[in-house]
Amino acid sequence: MKPTLSELIRPYRSISIIGMCKNAGKTTVLNQIIKEVKGSGRILALTSIGRDGEDKDLVTGTKKPGIHVEEGTLVATASDLILRHCDVTREIIDTTGISTPMGDVVMLRARSDGNIQIAGPSITNQLAKVREQFFGHGADVVMIDGALSRKTLCSRKVTEATILCTGASYNKNIDTVIEDTAYNCEILTLPETADEEIRKTVEPLEDFRGTIIFGEQGPWTIPSGLSVEDALRKEEAKGARAIFFGGALSDFLMKPLLMSSAPLKGLTFVVRDSSKILLKRDNYDKIARRGITLEVLDTVNLVAVTVNPFSAYGFHFSKEELMSRMEAKVGLPVINVMEDAK
Amino acid sequence: MINLPFAQRENIGFQYVLDALKPCSPYGEELVRELKPFEPCQKPELQRQLQNIQRVLTVLEAEAIGSGKKTRPEGPVCDLPEMQAEMERLRAALEQGEGCQKALDKLLLVFMTVKNVRPTAIKCRETALNEIELFELKRFLLKCDEMLPLFGEIQPILQLEGISLKDTSGALDLLDPEHNRVASFYIADGYSQTLRALRKEKRALEEQIRPLPDGEEKEALQAQRSRIAAEEEHEEMRIRGELSEGLRPYIDDMLHNMEAIADIDLTVEKACLALRYGGTMPTFTDSTLDMTDMINPQIADAVAGRGKTFTPVSIGLEKGATVITGANMGGKSVALKTIALNILLIQCGFFPFAKKVKAPLFDGMYIISEDLENIDRGLSSFGGEMVRFNQVVRQMGEGFVFIMLDEFARGTNPDEGAAIVQAVTQYLNDKNAVTVLATHYDNVAQKGSAHYQVIGLKDLDVDALQKEIAARGGDVGVELISQHMNYGLYRVEGKQDCPRDALNICRLLGMTPEILEMVEKNYDR
Repeated sequence: MKPTLSELIRPYRSISIIGMCKNAGKTTVLNQIIKEVKGSGRILALTSIGRDGEDKDLVTGTKKPGIHVEEGTLVATASDLILRHCDVTREIIDTTGISTPMGDVVMLRARSDGNIQIAGPSITNQLAKVREQFFGHGADVVMIDGALSRKTLCSRKVTEATILCTGASYNKNIDTVIEDTAYNCEILTLPETADEEIRKTVEPLEDFRGTIIFGEQGPWTIPSGLSVEDALRKEEAKGARAIFFGGALSDFLMKPLLMSSAPLKGLTFVVRDSSKILLKRDNYDKIARRGITLEVLDTVNLVAVTVNPFSAYGFHFSKEELMSRMEAKVGLPVINVMEDAK
Repeated sequence: MINLPFAQRENIGFQYVLDALKPCSPYGEELVRELKPFEPCQKPELQRQLQNIQRVLTVLEAEAIGSGKKTRPEGPVCDLPEMQAEMERLRAALEQGEGCQKALDKLLLVFMTVKNVRPTAIKCRETALNEIELFELKRFLLKCDEMLPLFGEIQPILQLEGISLKDTSGALDLLDPEHNRVASFYIADGYSQTLRALRKEKRALEEQIRPLPDGEEKEALQAQRSRIAAEEEHEEMRIRGELSEGLRPYIDDMLHNMEAIADIDLTVEKACLALRYGGTMPTFTDSTLDMTDMINPQIADAVAGRGKTFTPVSIGLEKGATVITGANMGGKSVALKTIALNILLIQCGFFPFAKKVKAPLFDGMYIISEDLENIDRGLSSFGGEMVRFNQVVRQMGEGFVFIMLDEFARGTNPDEGAAIVQAVTQYLNDKNAVTVLATHYDNVAQKGSAHYQVIGLKDLDVDALQKEIAARGGDVGVELISQHMNYGLYRVEGKQDCPRDALNICRLLGMTPEILEMVEKNYDR
C-alpha cells in the first residue's frame, strides 16, 4: 500500500516544506503534519522562511487556511506577529537575537490551541540556530515552512527532509505543471559530490563567486576575463576532472560552453546547492548530453511531492491523471493533499 | 577636554588596546564604546576605578602565581600607603586560600548570558510593557538573583569601592509569583480570577471544536472562541499594566545593577590587560612625569611576532619642551607613540603599561605628525601640519596640556625647518604644557628644557660589527644593525657631540670609503 505523508516523515526530526507556487497546498500539508506529530505525542516546533499563516494570501488575495497550532507547540516568529496576530495563550520561552522587518524572532510555547502567523529567519545559519534552540527547549520535530525561491534554506544543513508542494495553481496546462515539478525535483535532489579535494577547497570559501578547475595540478581558479572553454585548453587545466562554479549556472554562462568544442565529456560540474542552477530545461538537458555529471555540495532530501488538483483561480485538473502522470515522472511518492488531508 | 581624532588614537596604539578588551556583558561593551578621557576635576572617580583595577589585578596575579605562570611582583604596588597596606592584606588573604577567583569566574559567566534590557527598563517607567518585554526583564532579574550571592562571596575579600548590587527579588516575585524561577514568561491564570475563568471557557470551546467537521456548527463555536480570546487579551493587557506599575519602584535598582555589571566587567577586563602587558597603578603628580620601562602593546606584539623583543621606553618629562633626537632607524617615533599612548591610557582609567609611572592629569592632549595630517583638505603635508599647530596654539590657553610633535616641519628645507622648529620649541618651553618633540634638525635641543637621545649605536663597537657584517656577506647589514640598535633613551646633559649614528650606519651598510672620508671631513668643518 502507498505510504501516507505521516509515514514518510516519521523518521525525521527536522522537515521543511516548499511550494512551487502560491496556493500549492503548503499550509494544508503543514496543518496535516501538525496533526500527525501531535497525535504521536511528540513536541512540534514551527517556524518559517518569511511570513505565513495570514488569513488571506497577501500576494494573490485568495483565502488561505491559517496555521492552527495546538497546546504545547513551540513557535519561532516575529514579535510583532505575536503581539498583534496571535490568539493562542502563550508563554514566551526565549529570544533569538534575529531581526526581521516585523520585529525580532521570539520563541513561544502555545498554552492553548489557536491561530498563529509565522515569520521566521531567512538565512541558513539563522535557521540552523533556531532549529538547535528548539531542540534545546525540548522540541522533538522541527518544521520549517520554506519557499522554492530559497532552496538553499532547505538543504540538509537545515532540515533532514523536505516536501515539495505543487498543484493546479502553478499553471493552467497540466503538462507544464508536471514537467516543471519534475525538473525542480531533479535539481533539488542532485547528488552530493564525493570529491574530498573539491569540498576541502571550496567549503571555506563561502563568498567565492569564481570558477575553479580541478586537474592534475590541483585546483586552479580561472582568472577573470578567461572563459571556461578557453581555460580548459590551458596547461593549468590539464587532466581536468571537475569544475566548481561559485556563482550561478546560468543560460548565459552555459550556452556558449555547451556549444563549444571544449573537451567536456567525463567532467563533473559542481555547484554549492540547487539554488545555483538557473538553467532552462533544454540547456540543463544538454549538460547530460555532453557527458557531464552535475553535483552539489549540499543536496535536499526530498521525501515526497504533494499535489493540489484545484487551482485558486477557479479550475481544476483530473486528480487521477495528475497523480498517475506525476508519479511516473518524478519517481517519488506523490500525495494528493485534498484527499489525504482528510 | 581630550579629543584625539580616531586616526591618531589608532596610530599611537590606543585602538589596539581598546580592541583587546573583551567585555563579557553588553553593558560592559557599551561602556567601552562610550569610553571618554577623564578631566582633571574627575580625579576622585578615576582613582576609584584605578584602585578597583588594582584589587582585581591582585587576585588575577595571585592565580597566575599559584599556577606558576608568574612570579610574585616585588616592591610596592603604588605610592599610596593605604592602598599598599590593603594590597598586602589582600595578597595574604589570597595566599591563605581565601579564594574569590572561582566566584569571580562564575560571575563573569553570568555576565555573558545577560542581555541588554536597559531600553525596556526605561520604557517601563512610562508605559505598560508587552509580554516579550516582561520576559526580557524577568530573565534579567533571574540573572541578578544569580549574581547576588556570587558578588556577596567576592566583595568581602575584594572590597571593590563604589560597586554594589541591589536585591531585586521583589521585582522577580512579581513576574514569577509561583517561585518557579524558570526563564520563561507567561501571564499565569493565577494573576486574576477573570483570566482563569476566561481561559477555562476558551479551553472548553477548543475541545468542542477539535473533533467537529467544517460547517456551521464549527464556525459558530469558532466565533464564540474568538470573542473569548479577545476578552482574554483584554484582561492580559490589564494585568500587564498592573505588573509594569508594580515593577516601576524597582527600575532604579535594575538600572543600578546594569551600571554595576558594566563597572565590574570593565574593571576585570582592564585588570586582565594589566596582567598581560604588565600594567601598573600610576601615581598622580601636579605637572611632572616620570615613566619607567613603558611598552606599547601594539608595537610590542608586532615586534614579538618577528621574534624580537620591544625595548621599553623610560623618560622623565616636565613642563616645557623635551627634545628627542637620534639616528634614523632609532625608534624616535616608537618612543613618542609609547609616551602618548600611556598618557592617554591613564586619562581613560587604564593602568599604563610600565614598571612605574608618575604623571599628572591633562586638560588636553594634542598630537602633530605629518603622516596623520589630512591631505584631503588640499593642503600639502607641511601646510596641514601648520594649520593643525595653529589650532593647538589657539586652544592652549585653556588649561594644562600635553603636546607631541613628531618630526615637525620635516617636509620643508632643512635650514628653514630647523629655524621653525627651534622657534616652536622656544615658544612651547614656557607655556602651561608638557611638550615632547622628536626632530632631526640641528640646534633644537638647546632651545628645549630637556634633551633625550636614542641610545642607538652609541655604545656599540662599530669596527667589530663591521667585521661581522663583512664575514657574513653583504645583505645582512640592515638586519644586524636593527639587532644591535639600542632603542632606549638616555638624557643628554649639557652640550652634546654631533651624533655619528648616520655615519656609522653608512659605514656598516658598506658605503665607499672615499665618500665616507669626505663625509667625515664635512662633519669636522
